[in-house]
Amino acid sequence: MKTKMKKGKITMIITAGIACFVLVLVMTMQFKIVNEADITSIENMRKTELSTELANWKTRYDEVNKQYEETVSMIEEYKNNKESNEQTNSLMDEELKQINMTLGKVDVEGEGITILINETNNDEVEKITADDLLLIVNALKLAGAEAISINDQRIINMSDIVYIDAAGIIRVNGERILAPYTIKAIGDSNYLESSLIGNGGVVDDMKKKEQDVTIQKSNNIIIYKYNGEIDTKYME
Amino acid sequence: MIFIAILIGCILGALIGMNAPMISYTYSSYLAIAVIAALDSVFGGITSVINKNFDLKIFVTGFFGNAILAILLTILGQRLNVDIYLAAIVVFVGRMFINLAIIRRYYVDKWSKKFEEIKNKNVKAKEKVEAKADEK
Repeated sequence: MKTKMKKGKITMIITAGIACFVLVLVMTMQFKIVNEADITSIENMRKTELSTELANWKTRYDEVNKQYEETVSMIEEYKNNKESNEQTNSLMDEELKQINMTLGKVDVEGEGITILINETNNDEVEKITADDLLLIVNALKLAGAEAISINDQRIINMSDIVYIDAAGIIRVNGERILAPYTIKAIGDSNYLESSLIGNGGVVDDMKKKEQDVTIQKSNNIIIYKYNGEIDTKYME
Repeated sequence: MIFIAILIGCILGALIGMNAPMISYTYSSYLAIAVIAALDSVFGGITSVINKNFDLKIFVTGFFGNAILAILLTILGQRLNVDIYLAAIVVFVGRMFINLAIIRRYYVDKWSKKFEEIKNKNVKAKEKVEAKADEK
């Protein structure tokens, strides 16, 4: 009876020891895992945490995506603006160039004719007057000349070609010019020439008066810009 | 004797547990539920010792069976997408509290009885001393 009791007690002691051993073993392992596991890392998250996190990220992604799209559209707008600005800029440049050329503010070059008029020593021949030059310039304008100059005095819209009779002086743009006169014109050289030498043309008439007039066609005539100032006081 | 065995078991378990290889975090929930089940069994055992109906077979089978059953139920719950481990925790922890209450009541009763006895003894001794003094 005594040995049986002892046997039961020993088994009970051993069982208690084993039970405690297992319990503490598992508990320490669990402590270790919980201590060392990074709860914030995605691999260790529970399903519910993961889903909330995912939803958060999704909303954030949506927001960022929206912002991104807005920015992209803004950039697009700016680009369009820039392009249109550039277009208008280039158009303006083009127009400015055109206007400067027609106003005579820049040197121009192109196809055209040169008219050389020499004074003859023969006294019987009429002297060259400003009227002759005016007629020539008008004819050239009629024939579609785009730029004209007399002795490198550019003829602009306000140019004057006057003859001061008493002194026998021809003034163009307020400057005195002397023979030989060189009139340069840019335009269709055939039209320009034919407008001068056709029947009743100015040069024809002058030649009839035995004045020394020659016409040269050329592919690159350079006409210099207007020297004076173009300023407006009364125009608004 | 039994306390020594428990102490040795605890120390051994702690030492081996410290040096044991890490188990992946996904299995830690199973381990946790097993720990809860085992703790429940331990408290149940202590209660049965107090009630003097302790059976070693029931304790051992409960200790390991409950743990394994809890793990299996947790796995099943994950498969079924039902948080069965919550039910297991509720049952085990609830039972643990009940057992703890029983243990507490037992010891409180025991100690209060002891105090009363001591008090009674003191009172008796005093009475004796007073009686002696009166005789004189």
